[in-house]
Amino acid sequence: MVPAQRTGRVRHRLILLTLVAVTLLTVDLRGFDSARAAQGFVRDLLHPVNSLATTVFSPVADVWNSLFAYGDLEAENAALRSEIDAMRGAAISAEADRSAYQQLLGSLDLPYAGNTAIVTARVQRGPVGNFAGDVVTINRGHRHGLSEGMAVVTGAGLVGRVERVDGVTSTVQLLSDPNLFVGVRLVSTNDVGLGHAVPGEAGMFVINQGPNWPRISETALLPETGSAVVTDADSRYTADVPIGRVVEVRPAADESSLEVLVELANDVEDLAFVSVLVNEQHEDPPLLDVVPSTSVPLDLDPDLLNPPGAGSADEVDR
Amino acid sequence: MIPVRLGALILVAVVVQVTAFADVRIAGVAPELLVLFAVMFGYWLGPRHGPTAAFVVGLFWDVYLPTPLGLSAIVFSMVAFAVGTGGAELFRDSKLQLAAIAGVGTFSAITGYALLGEVMGQRGLVDLEMLRVSLIAGLVNAAAAPLTRPLIAWSVGPKSGLGVLGAPR
Repeated sequence: MVPAQRTGRVRHRLILLTLVAVTLLTVDLRGFDSARAAQGFVRDLLHPVNSLATTVFSPVADVWNSLFAYGDLEAENAALRSEIDAMRGAAISAEADRSAYQQLLGSLDLPYAGNTAIVTARVQRGPVGNFAGDVVTINRGHRHGLSEGMAVVTGAGLVGRVERVDGVTSTVQLLSDPNLFVGVRLVSTNDVGLGHAVPGEAGMFVINQGPNWPRISETALLPETGSAVVTDADSRYTADVPIGRVVEVRPAADESSLEVLVELANDVEDLAFVSVLVNEQHEDPPLLDVVPSTSVPLDLDPDLLNPPGAGSADEVDR
Repeated sequence: MIPVRLGALILVAVVVQVTAFADVRIAGVAPELLVLFAVMFGYWLGPRHGPTAAFVVGLFWDVYLPTPLGLSAIVFSMVAFAVGTGGAELFRDSKLQLAAIAGVGTFSAITGYALLGEVMGQRGLVDLEMLRVSLIAGLVNAAAAPLTRPLIAWSVGPKSGLGVLGAPR
């Protein structure tokens, strides 16, 4: 009897946990701000600890990658290099600083940004876990004026968009994510289209739809190889941010239309600094106030307007 | 004292997962330390308290993942329940079996996470890459399971089966 009771309690507890999880899932999927705010609060709370841990674990990760990520030859080179590094400590440190400085300068040189305010950020870490690819975390957030949807760029062009913003950090969805669609303009033809990264082909971007997208027979309407591709003025991003250059025009999978293959200008795999274009985000137009109609159909029974027991229209107005 | 230690262990595991394992990859796969702890809690605490601890671990993990809040939590608690129930009735306490439980539990948790995520509308979770990730993470966790055992023992005390924390044994 006792084991049966205990098993029953265990089941009840599991059902309770499941219900809590389903409630959280529903709240999150419905887009309740409170759920996101709570997650952001936890991330902000743990941010100092995570920053410290990143600093502590960074050498460990470097050693790990130098040992396992580039093969035996690379591992030998890394071991030799580490000995040289030990002897040249100060010089290497200065070089590293200079390199970081050059990268910082590169991220600040944004001729296409115009008068748009920019916030420069350092990339803190890559994706966490195995199912959160194509994102990076940067060290700027709400407190620095960032909000969701803002364009993230470097001197070479578009890097991605701000996906999630916390107090002092943000998550950036990179352009290499095939689920990130960008409105683009083909500079040579001035056509606009919608493109995304090509799954499984690093550094490649494909444009395969647009308002007047050419059919397979209309190759003359497509851009020349080597011509530039930039963000469109009607896209959610600042206009004319470089995306890349056209490398190929080929038939699409449906074989009825064409697609434009673009080599991305930015190497999003190796980012140290980025800039966020701080501009107003495109939002849906505000809903107009609903104004009830004051017209009364001509065939309406007048008694319906003044039902028995209700006051006159004048009394209601008062 | 046990909740404090347990909380500290979970927090440290979350921080290590989010920071160190964001850069360290084994054959391109990030070690799934939090999944390992969820499985270990199921094994160590049994089906009554194991799922609750695993749920908390999953909830922390959800805070950092792009998938909806609660997805890891529900999967982790289910796996911990399965491991806790099986652990109480089937397994003896040996290192080899512990490694096997950790490996299979990790594989199940990652696969379950991807499948449930796909059902919830997340795209691109279920493919051959998912199987590769599950397999490698399972092997890594199988190897790492005996190392986490002292940490679990420190945080929650001796192993319990259906007789669980706070309950008469």
